[in-house]
Amino acid sequence: MEILVLIKQVPDDSVDIKLDPATGAPKLDGVTPVTNAFDTYALEMAARYKEANGGTVTVATIGDDAAVSSIKECLAVGADKGFLIKDDSFADSDPTAKAYILSKAVAKLEEINGAKFDIVFCGREATDVANGAVAVKLAADLCVGVMTDVIAVDPADGGVDVQQQTDTGYNVIGLATPCVVAVQKPDYDPRYPTIKNKMKARKAQVPVITAADLGTEADKVGAAGSLTKVLGLHEPPKREAGIKIVPTKEEPIAAVVTRAVGMMAEAKVL
Amino acid sequence: MNFHFSEEEQDILDALRDYCEKEVGPKAAEIDEEEKFPEEARKQLGEMGYMGIYFPEEYGGAGLTYLTYIAACETIAEYCATTSVVLSAHESLCAWPIYKYGTEEQKQKYLVPLASGEKLGAFGLTEPGAGTDAAMQKTTATDDGDHWTLNGSKIFITNAHYADIFVIFAMTEKEKGNHGISAFIVEKGTPGFSVSGHEKKMGIRGSSTSELIFDDCKIPKENLLGEYNKGFKVAMTTLDGGRIGIAAQAVGIAQRAIIDTVKYDKQRIQFGKPIWKFQNTQFQLADMQTKVDAARLLLYRAAQAKQDGEPHSHLAAMAKLFAAETASDVTRRCLQLIGGFGYTRDYPFERYMRDAKITEIYEGTSEVQRMVISGWLGNTIEA
Repeated sequence: MEILVLIKQVPDDSVDIKLDPATGAPKLDGVTPVTNAFDTYALEMAARYKEANGGTVTVATIGDDAAVSSIKECLAVGADKGFLIKDDSFADSDPTAKAYILSKAVAKLEEINGAKFDIVFCGREATDVANGAVAVKLAADLCVGVMTDVIAVDPADGGVDVQQQTDTGYNVIGLATPCVVAVQKPDYDPRYPTIKNKMKARKAQVPVITAADLGTEADKVGAAGSLTKVLGLHEPPKREAGIKIVPTKEEPIAAVVTRAVGMMAEAKVL
Repeated sequence: MNFHFSEEEQDILDALRDYCEKEVGPKAAEIDEEEKFPEEARKQLGEMGYMGIYFPEEYGGAGLTYLTYIAACETIAEYCATTSVVLSAHESLCAWPIYKYGTEEQKQKYLVPLASGEKLGAFGLTEPGAGTDAAMQKTTATDDGDHWTLNGSKIFITNAHYADIFVIFAMTEKEKGNHGISAFIVEKGTPGFSVSGHEKKMGIRGSSTSELIFDDCKIPKENLLGEYNKGFKVAMTTLDGGRIGIAAQAVGIAQRAIIDTVKYDKQRIQFGKPIWKFQNTQFQLADMQTKVDAARLLLYRAAQAKQDGEPHSHLAAMAKLFAAETASDVTRRCLQLIGGFGYTRDYPFERYMRDAKITEIYEGTSEVQRMVISGWLGNTIEA
């Protein structure tokens, strides 16, 4: 079973990030780049699938040289091979352009590996921009099936059975392979790296794949290939202070509760 | 001396810190409150390779340096003193003497599962009448031809209920005092060997501290560790290393107390400003951090000397003495800076103070460290 896991390096989302008023861009000085949390779940799910059913796990990302650290982290926790997809022309790509680049990358990596991928694992969304669109668009470009919010993948005749999380439980859906799955947080956490795997990953070479290697068309990548563009970023409005309702002699507790319920009904929170 | 870690070592220590931040720290209060052995962390640390971090790969270890091991003990202690002593007793007191004094067969049979984290180790020297004074121990090992028979008991044994492999000391020729002690490897489940009770302690409450009882316990002849009647040397050299591990624990506890105190004091408003803004707070913490850094330097010096195969008994003793007394002093003063909340069990400061105290006592009290240091002074300086 050949598995590809697509990851993205993002700013550490446990840190409160502010916008720079001068540029309107997020202030990322001193914010550690990390592997997108949903991608770490995708990798763990892929690694478990491989350990149970055999195969290899390849990990790839579109990014700059800094993203190599994320690939090496992945190599320490279950990935067998890692590739960096890097080119100046890829800057400012939206999900449509990224899916196009990745579809080309899938073909290139299959050529390098000498085998077709059976499953492409992605995180359900990146914690920085949270579009949640790349996996679905990639599947469309590859003309294969896709399932989102996946919390489990098991082998089945001719493909895989996936569990898709819903508000009330989960659906079990059969998918023919090859396919793309966008992973939601499963009921387990990603493993921690062993010392030996970490040291091995540190020494691993991460080959770089460029636009020339992929044969991407200039008008389909970067801003030119994007259907959307970011007009501006805004911080969420500060929450206003709540209303304090205190019983008094004039308005005893029963009356206060009635008034509070009325206010909540009016605000349509009840 | 240069104590900089290589990029690789730093990477490993960062990964350990990340693990401790997520898995060890959040459970420390519960481990203390419920006197719960950190079984999950022990298992995970083993799987990740930290239970044999400095042993060669051919013996199941990760092949890193001793200094990295000591920094790992310090890191874990920053998050949970109990978890750090579980690892430290296992590696310094059980795995190390087998690595140093064991035969190749003993290493393959016992060190490999210890260093790979598959099995847990413990060390048994102390008895009701013999702690520091090892020659006063009553446990005996008699040569019965094709096996040794052990009789007696050991107390205050760390990891006791959870350990699989024990390094045990016993008198083989009582009349010879320290020259009549031998070391042995005893496996859990050996007939005649049992673990009894559970000490209710002031600090490191999650660690298993119990009595070992040997009642006509027969162990194979090949389980003699090191040479016959040379057990005192095995015990003392093992404790030299153990003391470095405990110094690391003390530094970790003290550092965490300072970090948490600064964080708290920056938020706690009194007289219209955070108490961090008062010079008394700042100067006290400046003094404390200076002491902790001094303790860390003594610690790393001792670890480096051990790593380089240099004499280090006195260096280990100095590191443990200063780090332990610093930890007790720092945690007490941090609690004072926190005030009333620090005295409650809703906050970790009283736990830090309780955990710090043991570092002045086990693996040689501060008084014993002074004996070792003054002994070294007396031996190296002529009249």
